[in-house]
Parts: sequence; structure tokens; C-alpha cells
Amino acid sequence: MEVTVGDVAMPGDIIKDISTHNTKDKIILGPGLRRDGEVIVASKAGVLRKGQSATYYIDSYQKRYIPNRGENVVGIVTQKVGDIFKVDIAASEQAGLSYMAFEGASKRNRPDVQVGDVVFAKLLVASKDMEPELVCVDSLGKKGKLGVLSSDGMLFTCSFSLVRKILNPECPLFKMLGKEQAYDLAVGMNGRVWIKARSVHETIAVANAILAAEYTALSEMNSLCNRIAKMLLQQR
Amino acid sequence: MEGTEIVEDEGILRPMKCELNHLTMPDGSAMFMQGDTAVVAGIYGPVEARVQKMMYDKASIEVVYTPIKGPPCVDDRMREQIIKETCEAALIATLHPGTAICINVQELQDSGGLLACTVNAACLALINSGLSMKFMIGAVNCMIEKDSQKLILDPDTTQIQEAKATFTFIFDSSKKDLVSCQTTGRFTEKEFLYSFDKCKEASQCVFQFFRSIVTKYATRI
Repeated sequence: MEVTVGDVAMPGDIIKDISTHNTKDKIILGPGLRRDGEVIVASKAGVLRKGQSATYYIDSYQKRYIPNRGENVVGIVTQKVGDIFKVDIAASEQAGLSYMAFEGASKRNRPDVQVGDVVFAKLLVASKDMEPELVCVDSLGKKGKLGVLSSDGMLFTCSFSLVRKILNPECPLFKMLGKEQAYDLAVGMNGRVWIKARSVHETIAVANAILAAEYTALSEMNSLCNRIAKMLLQQR
Repeated sequence: MEGTEIVEDEGILRPMKCELNHLTMPDGSAMFMQGDTAVVAGIYGPVEARVQKMMYDKASIEVVYTPIKGPPCVDDRMREQIIKETCEAALIATLHPGTAICINVQELQDSGGLLACTVNAACLALINSGLSMKFMIGAVNCMIEKDSQKLILDPDTTQIQEAKATFTFIFDSSKKDLVSCQTTGRFTEKEFLYSFDKCKEASQCVFQFFRSIVTKYATRI
């Protein structure tokens, strides 16, 4: 079976547009696609999409996280082993987080991280053969948005397709929600979302808004946010 | 949801029904019905492998089959083995070395063609889990009737009583090749090849059904 952009591809399907492409053009294959000799074959089920220039990928549904280098994740510290913290990032293996990978950390000045803390970190090493490694600083040694998240927030999980949807710059959800209430938010690519608003009511309302966004079209986001805002006004 | 007709009047697959992502805990799950035969399959993976089962170059695949009642018997172990080996052929296990992929299958009702049903359910659950696969696998069950020598595709329990031989063929979706096959009873080479061809034709309906189910779910997100 051959498929084109916009169709639903199944594992084993041949991607027609790429295979007939000019051989000199550079093509980037995203997740769910692989090359098998002369042809490009889908390895996951989902909608075949084309990004900017010649980037192709399959928009698939997935619940298990497979670490990728450079992605931001929300993890839970599970244990301290010598100089590193073990962090559960919902992948097949726990990730390592060195105590030196925090802003301003030194041998004498250790960061205050306890077992059970929630951290927002970036994957520095993510290879199929090695243990994933996290950092809470950027290459300049600044922490930016990364680091330990405060314990009075709420953590919940959602599907990856929802994470990709709400992190898309074109998605108006966060801007619209932000007009009505203030909140802190950390969205990990591993399907974990941490939020903290001014009150418990608001936190739960924002969490529900995010979860409801999964099956809401971008054009209907506005009415969704208005509904949530109205509900919160009644609560007060 | 879809019953599909094939040339012979007995050559009709029983209607298939499926619900994807039926369970919340597993990474991928499917409830699959073929006629009255129903199974639920759930996939966990890639997860951390146990030390004895860990392979440094690819993911180890474990299959647990649970019958409706009682502990699993020898037949069930064999079924596990067939599912394991067919899924190993379909999955790209080298992408996740040192991990395990657990496939759990629960029988809900057996009205004939249970092996085909479990394999199809496992394939749909694998598709739902988002694991990389080389191709899909589709299983078709058939039998040859004792008296009339007639080939019946996808028989139910009452028809199987009259069977001289039963066959379960599992095909891949890309080259339409045979992946694995299980037979019972006595039959000639000609009968085997004839039923193989018929099942190969019928496997297209199974793949079409898989596609229609995935399309239904993919367009909703």
C-alpha cells in the first residue's frame, strides 16, 4: 500500500511522495519513518505529515516515553546514589542527574534536592544503548526555566499528542488561559505536566482545561477557555 | 463493524469489532472480536528488562496468555510461543536494546479461531502502543470439512466439530508473505496450498479492517 501526505499510514506502508522525489534533494525523515533500500517505509501508524521544507513524520499516538536528546522532561527524583540523583522520567530506564548540573553548584555548595522532588530538566544524553542523563542548566551555566519545581503544584500525565499540540506555538490555549488566571506551568515531552495556580480550584480548572484540549480544535479553544473562566467566577 | 465477502459462499470472515486504547494502564491495548471470539491485549514497553531476560542488542519480547479460567495449560503456552515469534518478526526490536516488551493477552470468549483472534489483537495493541514495526501481521483461520471436503474460512465452534483439518495462517502486510502457520489434523499438500491461497486473499480484509480502525482513531485526535 502506498500513501501520500495527509493519509493515515500503517506500519509497512510505502511513502509515495518521498520515494519519487528528486534524488538530489535533501529529505529529513522524522519519527515513524525509516529507509529500506530505495523506498521509505512507515514504521508507526498515524497521519503522515510534512513539516517545513522536506521534513516528513508520522503523527502517532503513544503513551510510553522514549528519550530524545535535547527534550525537556518533568521527572521525579527517586534516589540519591553517590554524586548523582536517579530520576524517573517514565522511560524504560531511570535517568541520571548529577548534582553538579545545577546553577551555581559546586563541591561545597550542593543543590537542595530531596527524594520525591519534581524536577524540570533537559536531556543531555539520550541514546538507546546508554542511560539517559539530565541537566538543569543550559550551556552557559544558567538555569533558565529548569530546576526543582515547588512541592505545592500538581503533577498529572497526558498523552504525547496532547503535549505536542499544546506546545505548538500556534496553539492559543496558554495565552487565553493566562488572560483570566495566573499560573506556573512545566510541560515535559514525557507526557507529564506540572502546574501551580493561585488556589487549588484554579489549579484543577487549568488542569482540566489542558486535558479537555486534547479533543478540542484550535478554533474552539476560545470557547473552552471562556467556559473555564466562567466556572471559576462562580466558584468564588 | 465490517463483514467482507469472498467468492465462495462459505468464504466469509466473521464480522470483526475492535476498540483501541481500551485499558488505561498499558502503553497500548486493544479489545478485538472476531464473531463471538473475543480477547483483550495489552502492551507494556519498552520497559526495564529483568536481568536474566536482558539482551544487549535487542528488546526481549515476553508474552503472557491468560485463559478465561484456570492456570494456563500446554496449548496456551504454545499459543504464547506463536504470538511471541510472530511479534518478534514484526517488531523492530533492535531500536530498544536492553529492554523488554511485554504482551499480555486475556481470553474473553472462545468460539473458534482463538489463535487468529489473539494474534490480530496483539497486532492492533502493538499498533496502538506506537512501537516501531516492520509490517503489520494479520491472521486468518480456516478448516476443511470432513464430509463435503469444503473449505470454510473463519469457522465457529460448531463448524469446527466437523473439521478434518484446521489451519491458521499469519501473513505480513507489506509483502503478503507467510510469517507463521499452525495446522491440526490430516490433509494433502493440495488442500494445504489451496487453503493457503484462500487465507491469503482473506488476510487483505483483515488488514483493511486494521486500517479502517486506525483511521477512525487517528482522525479523532
